[in-house]
Amino acid sequence: MPQFFLNKRLILLLVSIIFLVALIGFSLKDRKELTWSEQFVKDTTGFVQLLFHKPAQLVAGFFENVQDIKNTYKENKILKERLEEYVMLEAEVQTLKKENEELRAILKKKESLRDFVAIHATVIGRNPERWQETIIINKGEQQGVKKDMAVITPGGLIGKVQHAAQFTATVQLLSSIDRKNFISAYVQTKNESVFGLIEGYDEKRKSLLLKQVPFDAKIEKKQLVMTSGLGGIFPEGLPIGEVEEVVPDQYGLTKMVYVKPAANFYDIDDVIVVKRKIDAAQEEEEAK
Amino acid sequence: MKKLFLPFLAIVIFMSESILVDLWPKNEWYQDYLFAPRFLFVFILLITVYVTRTYGMIYGFIFGLLYDVVYTEILGVYAFAFTLMAYVMEKAMKIFHNHLAVTCFLSMLAIMMLEFYVYGIQLLIGKTDMPIDQFNSHRLLPTLLINVIFLFLFSYPLKQWLLKFGRDEREE
Repeated sequence: MPQFFLNKRLILLLVSIIFLVALIGFSLKDRKELTWSEQFVKDTTGFVQLLFHKPAQLVAGFFENVQDIKNTYKENKILKERLEEYVMLEAEVQTLKKENEELRAILKKKESLRDFVAIHATVIGRNPERWQETIIINKGEQQGVKKDMAVITPGGLIGKVQHAAQFTATVQLLSSIDRKNFISAYVQTKNESVFGLIEGYDEKRKSLLLKQVPFDAKIEKKQLVMTSGLGGIFPEGLPIGEVEEVVPDQYGLTKMVYVKPAANFYDIDDVIVVKRKIDAAQEEEEAK
Repeated sequence: MKKLFLPFLAIVIFMSESILVDLWPKNEWYQDYLFAPRFLFVFILLITVYVTRTYGMIYGFIFGLLYDVVYTEILGVYAFAFTLMAYVMEKAMKIFHNHLAVTCFLSMLAIMMLEFYVYGIQLLIGKTDMPIDQFNSHRLLPTLLINVIFLFLFSYPLKQWLLKFGRDEREE
């Protein structure tokens, strides 16, 4: 036994294992903010990453373009057909928007959960170990990005801000498993909105799981799923995806809906961090 | 000036992992098979073998910590593993004959151990629920494959360069 404790290297190893466990515990703790040293390291590497990423992206972009040209003819055909539909929709949206504004004016309700300020950002890195699907973007707290904000692409919701440093931020994609990663959402059915919680991701089916849906809700395939804006700091009405399949859940008390994500979680170049207008207004008041 | 080239190369390799994963064509293969480039880890092992153990362990700790802070946000995991594996690698090289093929083979073994270690930790803290057979087929094999390609392409030039660097270092 004494010999065991005299072995310097073994003791060093044991001490570092204890240290490792402590550090893991520290980083898993529900941290609101990163320590300043972590933020500093992240910002510095973020800057270097940006330098390397831009030229690499250009080269990769060239090969992608060549690929794209092959599909152009087919796509063009489909898009032309869509264009006519689009004109009609556009006109309808305009009238609805106007009507909405008028009605709001009558109600004297200026802000809704729907309005948001967009912060545009570029992806400068991706977690190479791929246990957690996270990306790094080049906007941080200085530009108004905060923890838990929603992140979207033109396709739809892709994730939320995991941690924000001063000039960079880490975005956790919806496809990563996190037991604390709930997003309040609703399904747009014909008559009403059915609420539920996005609570996970099925990797095999590549679809999100919408749970806690009332059992009597009438949900059909292809209906849209959006964020509800209840709880957290997500705005209302960001598209998440469409209903793929509805099944009763484990205990048969509620339903579970498989949601096919609207956005592509893999091919992400530019993202928009979404800040609710209500929150922005509140912050300004607080600042005064 | 020459001294600065080693950290510079390490930084370039550190960045290249993230860039490779980000710019890889996002096809079915990418979505189904989770390969993780471990170029930095291989580089650290090569430093250990061809320069000195102290160098390898210091680089392992610094860049492991950088990896933790920047990418995974779970501190300590890689800093610990990189340092320890650099130490183990040097001990293993004493037993075996120092040849490039042996180094490459041991590096692959080390990558395998690293993958299992990280998988264990992810399971322990509940960040993944991947079963072991899926881990083997969808993670371990593609990871080994991509790193074999890296070793095949870069191990020889890296070895030559690191040996030269080690010689220069000793002369001073």
